[in-house]
Amino acid sequence: MHLHVHSRFSFMDGAANLDALIGRAVELGMPALALTDHQGLYGAIRFYRAALMAGIRPIIGAEVVVETAGLFGEEGDLPPEERLHIPAAVGFGRAAGRGFHLTLLVKDMTGYRNLCGLLARAHVRSAEEPSVVPLADLARHSEGLIGLSGCTNGEAGAAVLAGLGWRAEATLKRLSRCFAPGDFYVELMQLLTPESPRYVSGLAAIAQRLHLPVVATNNVHYVERRQFRLHDVLSAAGAGGGLPGPYERQNAELWFKPAGEMRRLFADLPQACDATLAIAERCNLDLGLGAFHFPGAKVPPGETPYSTLAKAAWQGLERRYRPVTPASVARLQHELSVIQDLGFSEYFLVVKDIVDFARSRGIRCSGRGSAGDSIVTYLLGITDADPIRHDLLFERFLNPERRQMPDIDVDFDSRRRDEVIEYIYRRFGSEHVAMVATVQTMTARGAVRTVARAFELPPDEVNSLSRHLPWVSAHRLREVLDTYPECASHPLKDTARYGLLTELAEELSGCPMHLGTHLGGFIITREPIDTWMPLQWAAKGVVVSQYDKDDIEALGLVKMDILGLRMHSAISDTVELARSRVGTDAVPEPFELVPDDPSVYELIASADTVGMFQLESSGQRNLAMRLKERDFEDIIAAISLFRPGPLEAEMITPFIRRRHGIEPVRVPHPAMGEVLRDSYGVILYQEQVLRVASAIAGFSLAEADSLRRAMTKGRSREEMEAIHGHFVTRAVGLGVARDAAEEAFRQLQGFAAYGFCKAHAACFAVVSYASAWLKRYYPAEFAASILNNEPMGFYTPRLVVNDARRHGIGILPPHVNASRGRYTVEDDGRSIRVGLRDVHEMTQRLLSAIEREQDVRPFRDLADFLRRTRAEAPAAESLIRVGALDGLGSTDAGRPPTRDELLALLPEMKAVIAREGVAGDDVLVLAPAKARTPEDPTHVSGWSRARRLSAELEIVGLSLECHPLALARADLERRGVTWARDLPRLADRTRVRVAGVRERAQTPRTRSGKRTCFLTLEDPTGLLDVVVFEDALNRAGETIVKHRAYVVEGVLQNNQERGIAIIADRVEPYVVRTASGVPVRMRRGVPSGPMGPSLGGAGAPEEESWAAADLYDG
Amino acid sequence: MGRNSAIKRFDPAKEAGQPLDLFSGRDARRPVIVELLRSPWIVRGSQIASGTSGHSGKRREMEVEVIWNGARRAPATFQMNGKRYTVDALVQTWTIERAWWDPRTRLSRRCFRVLARGGLYDLAYDCLTGRWLLVGVVD
Repeated sequence: MHLHVHSRFSFMDGAANLDALIGRAVELGMPALALTDHQGLYGAIRFYRAALMAGIRPIIGAEVVVETAGLFGEEGDLPPEERLHIPAAVGFGRAAGRGFHLTLLVKDMTGYRNLCGLLARAHVRSAEEPSVVPLADLARHSEGLIGLSGCTNGEAGAAVLAGLGWRAEATLKRLSRCFAPGDFYVELMQLLTPESPRYVSGLAAIAQRLHLPVVATNNVHYVERRQFRLHDVLSAAGAGGGLPGPYERQNAELWFKPAGEMRRLFADLPQACDATLAIAERCNLDLGLGAFHFPGAKVPPGETPYSTLAKAAWQGLERRYRPVTPASVARLQHELSVIQDLGFSEYFLVVKDIVDFARSRGIRCSGRGSAGDSIVTYLLGITDADPIRHDLLFERFLNPERRQMPDIDVDFDSRRRDEVIEYIYRRFGSEHVAMVATVQTMTARGAVRTVARAFELPPDEVNSLSRHLPWVSAHRLREVLDTYPECASHPLKDTARYGLLTELAEELSGCPMHLGTHLGGFIITREPIDTWMPLQWAAKGVVVSQYDKDDIEALGLVKMDILGLRMHSAISDTVELARSRVGTDAVPEPFELVPDDPSVYELIASADTVGMFQLESSGQRNLAMRLKERDFEDIIAAISLFRPGPLEAEMITPFIRRRHGIEPVRVPHPAMGEVLRDSYGVILYQEQVLRVASAIAGFSLAEADSLRRAMTKGRSREEMEAIHGHFVTRAVGLGVARDAAEEAFRQLQGFAAYGFCKAHAACFAVVSYASAWLKRYYPAEFAASILNNEPMGFYTPRLVVNDARRHGIGILPPHVNASRGRYTVEDDGRSIRVGLRDVHEMTQRLLSAIEREQDVRPFRDLADFLRRTRAEAPAAESLIRVGALDGLGSTDAGRPPTRDELLALLPEMKAVIAREGVAGDDVLVLAPAKARTPEDPTHVSGWSRARRLSAELEIVGLSLECHPLALARADLERRGVTWARDLPRLADRTRVRVAGVRERAQTPRTRSGKRTCFLTLEDPTGLLDVVVFEDALNRAGETIVKHRAYVVEGVLQNNQERGIAIIADRVEPYVVRTASGVPVRMRRGVPSGPMGPSLGGAGAPEEESWAAADLYDG
Repeated sequence: MGRNSAIKRFDPAKEAGQPLDLFSGRDARRPVIVELLRSPWIVRGSQIASGTSGHSGKRREMEVEVIWNGARRAPATFQMNGKRYTVDALVQTWTIERAWWDPRTRLSRRCFRVLARGGLYDLAYDCLTGRWLLVGVVD
């Protein structure tokens, strides 16, 4: 069997997929298999689990880089002909070319912990030094490890190849002393190169002389021989060069050879192959998966974790429920007893500890997910939705029948999240905390770039090949090139030139590229964390685990998601701005509001939701028009309905029709009607599945949750039949008619997998309502706060500004005497002043200088501004062009200089300041600039409206004075364009022509599998939702991708069931032009590019964007 | 004079060296030659001169006819210049996979260094064309 195997987790130096490796080992009848990726255990846990599932013994290991063993001095001390040269290896990060390879295999848990520690120390010791394992450290921590002498880049192997037998012997002697007797093997590789016989026999002879055992390996880097090309491409790209790559491999022999082939290669040394079996027999690692390992919680003397938790919960009960109700007491008692039985008290206390810290510092936070189903989390202040009021079921969160690690996710104010993280490190100790890793895999773009770089194509060509590729998986590359209209003229379609590149890029699909850092996942352990997993520095400068969240969960360790939510920052900012204007007492804490304000629901129901948390996307606005939210339960329903599951199960249409009385509510049994009253007989929430099973078949809630989970996972027909029989029998036993029981089961089966967790929606709804309330009562503060926390939400800042303007809020341009860095509210809440932060070319230094000098006195003119701030020329030019210096100073004509005059003066003035350190006050008068005649003498800038708008879009990405299309109003009206605000008044199926600037273009997955583009456009009066079905998309794909504004012709859809949208027939580009025919540039404000990803999007919750498709489809 | 003539003329009765036939025949001599050829410690003069280890000696590239021995997974005979050579021993095999990304220079071969008629020959099966080539006569 193979003991030296690299998978794709050797990052750019392995082409073997883990599943394929394991599958091949099973196919070849190998009883065990090792995984020895470079410098880490990145794929070890998933390999361990998959191998056990496949019935073979997993041997975890790693190929590490160790320091020189065969010399007592430095390599450089030797004469040149005796030095060993290591090729710059890929996959070794900072250790590349800094030491020699050594293969380590784990025998048992001690060995596992030692290997984790060795790797962690090598990586984390210093962010600058190479990650080389010192021999002294290896010798101290080699218990439980088996060492193999390594490949041709191992010191002994390299010495033999260089003809330095003495060095090889010295190396093997020293390395063998690092391990217990019998735990070090000389590794032999017959790689069918001309040097291989000499290599093998040389090492074998030394091994014999030293009485060391030998073992045969094949340095596997790919499963099948044909995959050698991928390996070459990866290693070449990984080393930053071109093919043939850093190793200059001579052949394609690093494949997963069958035992017979290996025996033939080692016919003279059968003991080398026998040794693989002997080693496998000695490797019996049991990671003890299934057990939980909680970090230590703070418990007062004389208390237990449970008693501490119970006390805190009872105190919370008195605070949250006034008066305390019997139902809440009973619920708390039940939950506490389950938590005690499962032994999870410490976990709750740890989360409480962190949340308490945040609250004590005024850091806004809120729990999310199924944790909202628990009254304990509600009482501890972790979540904010009342589980009794919203009928949330604890068993959905913690099922006493299934001992699974609870998962409590908490969102924190993203701006202050670092304070929370700092606290976690301080509270638990930095040696007990690390961040969770993510594995970054190749998308189509990444794969194309990787192969193109390996082929050494020029950078411009690499960019042109990867640019404009949709965000799809690499394995769909050729399909996408053939079928997507926006790829009609993509250079990759030249198969004669790029056929091989495309083919290889497809094969790289999903290949891990490098380790990333999870957005907010932290692992907290009781023991030092490097006894559980290897650690390393992440690019962000934080210590990160080599394991991802699934690995951490499998190990039974506690992972906490400390997520940053920008909406929390925006809400905190809004409250602060509002309180500073109207007084602290006048603005209540939005999370503590009773959610019953009709005017807030009116706002939501009118789809006027830009900026509102979870309610603003185009799909949600469409849903709002149909749903007409009236209360908090409706917000929960809206959040839940617009999710993949409910959309896939087509829940929206019956929900809306029944709500509006278009069709009657039908349920198979009256008990079900009672349980599903809030959702009009539709099984929308996962919690309702539990309720139905309990009401119809008398299941306990725990049993019902197990039933739900069983139905959710792909079960065989036999298993489903068994569950079915059990359900119906119990229901009939309770007196339910068989037909009704059968129908109830059919519905459960149909919907169980698609329901949404109500607790999650309820937790989000608290934040949604708070944001809606703030938008209703403090719209200027709310919009300014959204803009201050960009990027966030579904829309661009340009649209948020336009939306504020449509609500009657004045948008004041940036000005050096009025603007601060951030957006501010002026004019008693009726205007927003644009901040200087977003001005193109603005630097942090200049921003601080402007703010500092503003506090001294206002700027008088350009010279004063330049002298006091020392503004860099590009930033000063941007400020002039966007109007931030308009109205300052005076020319000899007795008026302020125009922007053209200021721009003409700028270089001269910069030169004077540079030369003399100071610019005279009268520079403007003494040196009047020659500038062109003002286009618009009525405006202080001297610029026409179109030119001002172009500058705004280019410099701050916003249209401050008006919407770009407002400039072309006359032209558009002449073309018969209907404005967005007039659409609701038109009848369903009216033919319309609309015009708009692109806000979003998405091509989410649809049920039918057809490609549909959802365009969100904006005209001066509002937002337009345009649906471009496949036929039209084939004609308009390139137009949509390459242009920023369009005229769309199509049929209006305007009915209560489906809301308002335009089904497009034609999409034509539209260029906004000034009266003189000059186009208005919108580059920065409206970026062009490929249609949005089918999953997720900038700032949008993943589910929302793609699920939008189903609202319209069919 | 043959290269083993000194050995053949060894006379044990004489004090200062006599020819002695150390090998009973050709078959007895072959394993020793193969062992010497495979020995990692012996480097041929041509290798030292060229600084490489494998592709040395007289480089040739000509198509030859080879009869394959499936059981031994090695050539059994090959025909060169109208003369048939029987492979006495397989000394070494190696594979070459080079420049796969460039159809003009791509090389994909399985090479066999064989002992035949007292000489050492490198035969290569070209996987791209399916032809057998003699690629070298070593030493």
